[in-house]
Amino acid sequence: MTWTIAPWFIAGPLIGLLIVALRAAANKPFGALGGFVDISESGWSLSRLGFRSYLLFGLLLGGAIFAVASGSFSLSFAYPDYGSIALASPVAQTVLLLIAGVVMGFGARTAGGCTSGHGMSGMSLFSPASLVATATFFTTAVALTYAFALLGGQS
Amino acid sequence: MTIKLIGLAIGVGIGFVFAWAGLSDPAVIRDMLLLRDPHVFLLMGSTVVVAAVGARLLRANNFRALATGEAVAWSIEKPQTRHVFGSALFGAGWSLAATCPGPVAVMIGQGRLSGLFAAAGIVIGVTLQAMWQRASTAQKQVRAELQGTAGL
Repeated sequence: MTWTIAPWFIAGPLIGLLIVALRAAANKPFGALGGFVDISESGWSLSRLGFRSYLLFGLLLGGAIFAVASGSFSLSFAYPDYGSIALASPVAQTVLLLIAGVVMGFGARTAGGCTSGHGMSGMSLFSPASLVATATFFTTAVALTYAFALLGGQS
Repeated sequence: MTIKLIGLAIGVGIGFVFAWAGLSDPAVIRDMLLLRDPHVFLLMGSTVVVAAVGARLLRANNFRALATGEAVAWSIEKPQTRHVFGSALFGAGWSLAATCPGPVAVMIGQGRLSGLFAAAGIVIGVTLQAMWQRASTAQKQVRAELQGTAGL
């Protein structure tokens, strides 16, 4: 009973409309990194969490609602073998995810945004910084994904 | 509190669509990064176009944000070294995890708990960045002060 993946010409504009709705309702940009920054700075005091954390938590809730609605909700620790670096041991895969997260967190905060913040919001505002950031992280990610695939003997 | 609830509501909407569009599926991201499937590129492109038109329409009509009455406006930034350096690092992490801050939250909501490790990493990463930022700012201050006294 799982839904077919939403086509880009439906999902893309829908997300765009939601970003505009956020502008219209609160004059805020959409971004995901901010929530992580807020969590990091809140000292784990829930009452101190701000708008950005609510936005991030909304994403989580939205994922949960979709999963339940589409009958695809499933609690599991599995992570797909995406072929970049195929690791046999689950422990190694866990450590890799953690390290990847640390690198992403450090990098995104330095750059002032992530795929959503720069790639979606910033780009739509024609921010030169976002254009540069987006071009950089896409180029880097594509190049490295290819490199890892070649090194791993997979593609 | 209203602003926070607006954030929550919009987040739910975006999270739902992210999940529906496969953005929280590492396999989909991998196919994108291997340039095998244009789905995510086309999606992001159409998002940018719609958001760009919408934002400009709001601003051109002097629209005031419903919750705050604040006029819809924004500032844009000039590219700096940190945008390149930081994004290169980000891209590296992205290629390793095949997920990023938004989709990882969605993924966790869908029950893929391994996303929690990547998410924990992001929290650690932003924390380390703040420490590094403070240390390098302090260093610059000391240098500036030393140069100041050297001028006497």
